[in-house]
Amino acid sequence: MHIGPTTLILTISMTIGVIAGFVMHRSDYCVTGMFRDAIMFHHTFMLRALLLQIVITMILFEILRQTGTLPFYPFPLLGKPSLANIMGGVVFGIGMVLAGGCVVGTLYKMGAGSVTSFFAFLGLIFGSGLYPEIHPQWANIVKTTSISEAITLPQLLAINPLVMVVAVAIPAIILFSRWHRQQLWGKEAVVAGYLQPWKAACILTLLGAVSYILLGMPLGISTTYTKIAAITETLIIPEHAESLAYFKGVPLNIYNQLLNTPLHGGAGPAIDSLWDIQFPLIIGITIGSTFSAMLLGEFSVRYKVPGKQILTAFLGGTIMGFGARMSSGCNIWHLMGGIPIFAISSLLFVIGLSVGTWIGAKILFRILTGQHNCSCR
Amino acid sequence: MKTASDKPNEIVIDTRGQVCPSTLLVTLQNLNLHKNALKEGRTILRIMTDHRHSTATIPNAVRNMGYEVVVNKQKGYYEIIVGLSIPSPEQS
Repeated sequence: MHIGPTTLILTISMTIGVIAGFVMHRSDYCVTGMFRDAIMFHHTFMLRALLLQIVITMILFEILRQTGTLPFYPFPLLGKPSLANIMGGVVFGIGMVLAGGCVVGTLYKMGAGSVTSFFAFLGLIFGSGLYPEIHPQWANIVKTTSISEAITLPQLLAINPLVMVVAVAIPAIILFSRWHRQQLWGKEAVVAGYLQPWKAACILTLLGAVSYILLGMPLGISTTYTKIAAITETLIIPEHAESLAYFKGVPLNIYNQLLNTPLHGGAGPAIDSLWDIQFPLIIGITIGSTFSAMLLGEFSVRYKVPGKQILTAFLGGTIMGFGARMSSGCNIWHLMGGIPIFAISSLLFVIGLSVGTWIGAKILFRILTGQHNCSCR
Repeated sequence: MKTASDKPNEIVIDTRGQVCPSTLLVTLQNLNLHKNALKEGRTILRIMTDHRHSTATIPNAVRNMGYEVVVNKQKGYYEIIVGLSIPSPEQS
């Protein structure tokens, strides 16, 4: 039986998605929570797992690069750095805190039955669809605030990425082993079926590497939110959708040697390679989490949620979707893909993300408690 | 609310389905609001949440304040009881 490349791509992505969703639900691997709780409550337990994931991804990607296993380096769709990345990060950070989860966290929470995350999901699509309306203006800002032609830091400094990987990995490993001696990696869990976050970090690193090797790039999903909006717009207001330049771009244009097929795609309404890679991830993460929650008897849909929170989640999703397009990628793309290869745009995005999280936490605290001063510790 | 004389009065917090970190924030708010009654053992908090992470963050926070805490898995959610001394487990 002949299996075509599209079927293979769909199967690979779906498998990655289901495993990721299952793992994230088990360890509550919420990137939004990691940043937010570090700022709001000074809880850094989960942020440590993210740091571990970034460092081991960095080491693994470098090993793969050295052995010639990576099809592209840097990977496709990474933009040139611009100060606009910081602004996009700020907007994204505010949005993800209000939404109660990032582009992926929203999916695994929705998969476990969260109604607020479902509204955040709708907001994500709405916000991703709003961005193309101002894309020409924003593209100008990106161009005028551009800071370098180099995509990564090693390119900018004209050094071998290996040097930088070693320079970061050695102090990181020393720090990690200190945390190990202080027993800071694991925690006693009363929750059923708990997966320690450091294990989730390792599994997600492997999934990112599998995606990079087989599909040509690490995990990313946010362009497909725009695509879903584009498809919806084409059905409702076809003339308007047709007029938007953003829907016409085809930024993905590579040849996948391994699967022996060209990969083309963009944010427009076409069912292209980007859709084949990302859409199964969206579905997979959601059902992987549903599966995990059901096995634990924890799947439950609760509608009795304050309307204010539903609205906040929707608006948060909208802001986050918009922010992801402003910075050409979401937190997963930048943190788990870009940062490990020292992409400058990703480093700038994370600076913005941290500021945005702080602003978002202030706003959310007010919404949830009705108080102005964050006396939450 | 149960008000039997041999049992502490209880304050029920139901944050099921709510956005994160609602559970922790509302719990901390109630701990502050009912501090005297809690410290004198006149009341306990019964928190109902479907937020898995809260089963770790709330016990951590309240133990540091000198309270006892018990987490029970219920059908589709977790129940976290916080108080000076927690009455013997109830069947629910």
